[in-house]
Amino acid sequence: MGLDQTDIKRMISCAADRMAEKTGYLGDIDSHFGDGDHGLTIGRIAALMKERAAAWDEGDIAGFLDDLGTGIMEIRGGSAGPLYGTMVAGLGADLGENETDLDTEAVRRMFSGCLSEMKDLTTARVGDKTMMDALIPAVEAARTAQGGAGQIFEAAAEAAEAGAESTKNFVSKFGRARNYGDRTIGTPDAGAVSTALFFRGLSDGARSAK
Amino acid sequence: MKMKKFINAPENLTDELLDGLALAHSDLIERGDENMIINKKLADADRVTIVTQGGAGHEPAISGFVGDGMVDISVVGDIFAAPGPQACLDAIKLADKGRGVLYIVLNHAGDMLTGNLTMKQVKKQGLDVIKVVTQEDIANASRSNAEDRRGLVGCIPTYKIAGAAAAEGKSLEEVAEIARRFADNMATLAVAVRGATHPSTGALLSDLGEDEMEIGMGQHGEEGGGRQPLKTADETAEIMVKALVNDIGIKPGEKVMLIINGSGATTLMEQLLVYRAAVRILKEMDIEVVANYVGELLTVQETAGFQMFLARMDDELLRLWDAPCETPYMKK
Repeated sequence: MGLDQTDIKRMISCAADRMAEKTGYLGDIDSHFGDGDHGLTIGRIAALMKERAAAWDEGDIAGFLDDLGTGIMEIRGGSAGPLYGTMVAGLGADLGENETDLDTEAVRRMFSGCLSEMKDLTTARVGDKTMMDALIPAVEAARTAQGGAGQIFEAAAEAAEAGAESTKNFVSKFGRARNYGDRTIGTPDAGAVSTALFFRGLSDGARSAK
Repeated sequence: MKMKKFINAPENLTDELLDGLALAHSDLIERGDENMIINKKLADADRVTIVTQGGAGHEPAISGFVGDGMVDISVVGDIFAAPGPQACLDAIKLADKGRGVLYIVLNHAGDMLTGNLTMKQVKKQGLDVIKVVTQEDIANASRSNAEDRRGLVGCIPTYKIAGAAAAEGKSLEEVAEIARRFADNMATLAVAVRGATHPSTGALLSDLGEDEMEIGMGQHGEEGGGRQPLKTADETAEIMVKALVNDIGIKPGEKVMLIINGSGATTLMEQLLVYRAAVRILKEMDIEVVANYVGELLTVQETAGFQMFLARMDDELLRLWDAPCETPYMKK
């Protein structure tokens, strides 16, 4: 019940598809209290994910995720590049160089490594109305989920979606939106929504894993 | 408000404006890879060097201050958006002449993320870099919560003072200490009467009413409170001077730098009126203006409004401010 290179490749590609489908919506919700460019940036990130996944022939999983993350960090468009780059690279941060077949323990390490890298970068936590509102519950769900890789990613996706939905109730504490205070209640955080799409896509791709 | 700007394809804006800047000032600067603007004299520098980063759309900031005596390399992102950490790391390595690099970052969410990721790599690779953050907008946080204060026009005099300290041959630690001393004793307040449109998306970045002004607006029209009916230049200056003096804690008998920075669509006439009023009010408080600038250093497209900047000065800081520099938009 593990993941190999073919699975990771498919998962990244599926995640890119999910994100690319919703760029219009992401731009729209970001325009309320942000620059309105989140959809554009997510579109660029998705395109790079798709391209790198397709071009990935050989090499270890950790190296691929690290290279992809570094590439995403350089995508122009504000905070989303560095944050997404760190999240994607973080999925491989706690994997060994020679790990080509990830068992459920290794899959859980993908999530814990990702969270630890993100916590190094941002002080945002649940309730601050950022992508961490989707990421932290996803990691928590992955830690306790039963079953194989497919079930772990499905649990993470569901938790990320619930977390993104919950941001409607929060006041923005980070980024430009924080200056709008209570007025941000009612609108979900664009970064949390796109993060939920990312995990939903990973789960789509993991479902058919062996 | 429909956007009326002389642009070409929005996605090429940053690239084209950097080309234009480098062409217009080819004696002082050149374009590098990854949206860098580089001091032409960097190759011969045997001193601490200065690297900064930030979004475009704020011209002449930040790249207009690359040149001798100020910034050695600016790394530009996209319109209002930070560059990535790899580009900044590459710039730091290119700038490093064996004496270390001072890396100046403005406190904005994206810039801080990039700054932190860059410093992570800097440490991993054992490079000699000190990061200094400029965060002086007094509108949205108290002085004790400086990490929540945004970086406004204060980065520009910080570049000048750090650049001059580096030119004097001071060590990286000394240059950083001077830059921090200056930055810790500065404060900015912004006022706007009309917001700008985002040049790439056409989105209006504010919704101020016809007869309103807002004191405490950030760099990109982020709202910081303080909406009120439009006041005269003298009245506005008085509110702002008092808030700034109070924030820094400047006492009678002290010396200051005063900058009136036009945000893009406020005329030099208005800026001069405000400057005049500010000098008079400071004089009444027995505070002497020993350094100044009136004009556009850091703009936000066609935002109507200005930033008032105040900093406590000492003899060393004043000498460094007055030292020679040659950049496209500041020459001394």
